[in-house]
Amino acid sequence: MNATATAVEELAAFKKLAQGIAQLGRAAPPVDLSADERVARAKQVFIQKTDAQVALDLESCLHCGMCAEACHFYEGTGQGRYAPIHKLKLLRKVYRRELGPFRLVHRLLTRDLSVADLEQWQELVFDSCTECGRCDMICPVGVHLSRGVHITRQALAAAGLAPAELRALDAEQSRTGAIFGADVGVLRSALEAVRAQGITVPLDKPRAEYLVLTTAPDLLIYRSSLAATARIMNHLKFDWTFASNAFEAASSGALSGDEAAQKQATQRIVDAALACGAKYVIVPECGHAYPTLRWEGPNEVDRTFPFEVLAISELIGREIDSGRLRVKPVGAAKRVTFHDPCKLGRKGGVFDEPRKALAALGVELRETESRRATNYCCGGGAGVFLLERAAPLRAAAFRIKREQFDATGAQSVVTSCDSCRMTFAAGAEQTNWNVPVESLVKLVADHLATGEAT
Amino acid sequence: MTLLDFARGPAMFWAMTLMIIGIVWRLAGTVLLARRKDRSSPRGENRVAAGLRAVAMRSVPPHELEKSITFQHITGYAWHLGWFATFLFFAPHVPFLKSILGFGWPGLPNQAIVILAAITLAILLALLVRRMVHPVLKVISDFDDYLSSLVVCAPLVTGIVTYAHLFPDRHETMIALHILSVEALMVWLPLGKIFHCITALPLRFQIGATYARRGVKA
Repeated sequence: MNATATAVEELAAFKKLAQGIAQLGRAAPPVDLSADERVARAKQVFIQKTDAQVALDLESCLHCGMCAEACHFYEGTGQGRYAPIHKLKLLRKVYRRELGPFRLVHRLLTRDLSVADLEQWQELVFDSCTECGRCDMICPVGVHLSRGVHITRQALAAAGLAPAELRALDAEQSRTGAIFGADVGVLRSALEAVRAQGITVPLDKPRAEYLVLTTAPDLLIYRSSLAATARIMNHLKFDWTFASNAFEAASSGALSGDEAAQKQATQRIVDAALACGAKYVIVPECGHAYPTLRWEGPNEVDRTFPFEVLAISELIGREIDSGRLRVKPVGAAKRVTFHDPCKLGRKGGVFDEPRKALAALGVELRETESRRATNYCCGGGAGVFLLERAAPLRAAAFRIKREQFDATGAQSVVTSCDSCRMTFAAGAEQTNWNVPVESLVKLVADHLATGEAT
Repeated sequence: MTLLDFARGPAMFWAMTLMIIGIVWRLAGTVLLARRKDRSSPRGENRVAAGLRAVAMRSVPPHELEKSITFQHITGYAWHLGWFATFLFFAPHVPFLKSILGFGWPGLPNQAIVILAAITLAILLALLVRRMVHPVLKVISDFDDYLSSLVVCAPLVTGIVTYAHLFPDRHETMIALHILSVEALMVWLPLGKIFHCITALPLRFQIGATYARRGVKA
């Protein structure tokens, strides 16, 4: 299939998935909790998650408001309530009343957390925060704001107040292990489609050095990225496999704040990796899945992993460095810019490896003004792209991102995250922006040096 | 006992005592909370070096961040420098500080310090007005922000008024009020956001080390 046909097919699949996402909230299970139960559950999470590090954050804020200047949602809307530090207000309230050194005074002087507070904060920590962490980079005293937002998400989730779309995903993944209906049947059919291209794709090998994960958008929309992953693994002659009992890398619980769901998804992958004796688990182009497994996973399942977790872009960069992965130069005539997915970059530490791949491909890389640790988020991370009512906020964030891209004069944007690609695709459609957004994995796979194994 | 005697004697003693007890209490209540063990394997960066780097470099954000906070940065640094310069180098302050520390240093010319104090006060008042009208600061500000502004401005106001002899018949009272205003600041320090003078550098270290674990310079 040529590139244009692939793009058309992927756009159609994207629109179909987008229609499904718009209906997602209707599938959310009902929550039967009284107001008092919601408040009690939220407070329990706030207290449980506030350790000495979080407490130091909450004791140190100057209320300078600089964090807002790093936030795309504040910059895009001018609404003061989107200031990151404001989003930590409930966490600070509970800390001060329940744990802080002056709690007796605060209990006398401040009112307790209410369910109205929790309901009001839903928009602030879900719709208008992608937990991208750009605010963490600007705070003059070093408050870890995105961590505070995530704790607040977890508190709201415990209170049954995560947005319906995310609760629906949690329920689906807990029940089937899959999201967006991309279950094992869809996996098998997608792999068959890849095999039909003459590409070898192992599934359920009893022993394998590399356990490779995929994700629903790759199965439903970006099948070319799925095929590209297989081509690269084969090119490297790795002993690898997909596992039908643990193929979905995404973790809805990491988005909604439902820690039980997150732990279940992580445990499924860990069990599969241990069962096949994997030394490496490869995370596909799914931004949040990487820090969820690589950095949070060991804490969720309370053990240090006996295997290494690598993002596919990280693996590519490493193998190019080692000389085992050889690519043909695309040529400097191709001018690209690279979008660092927040969860891979700022929250994951994967900055250099994708750039090594682009350097090996010989393309002219034109960096955006804000890049690497200060990169602007796509606007849809941490599940925001799933929230119907957050569409205006995503549009505001996309305007900033688009300006950054356009200023580079690049012919295309390369990235390594399906959520970012989908968010950009939606923004492009709404604003008639016609700069293609490419998968790094596919770009590399399309330019593998001769002798490629299939 | 005159008001000045009170300010120099028991008020100073109790302000100092409350400040020290308050700092120890608040700091202990914060850092003695449990710490979570992180079971993920770090990337291998030197986290101590990264923490120290963050302590220094948080004052100099990258250009793409700095350009949107230039006003706050310049005014923030300016008033802190002006305030401490006034405190440390106003000639009448030096003997007082020497009596506490056991060593002294030359003061700066009084007129220069008064001009500096006036500029510092003007910046603080401008920032206070900004706090009341800025879309973000309006939302996030609370009682602590306004009281902290007041207790930081008060020593400057009383100091300038005292130096300028605006109330020549009450000069001793004005000196007493100036000292009491400093004591109010000392008492409020462990209670409000001025406490960041104790926690800011450790927190910078903390975020630098936390992000370095993942291989990110913060």
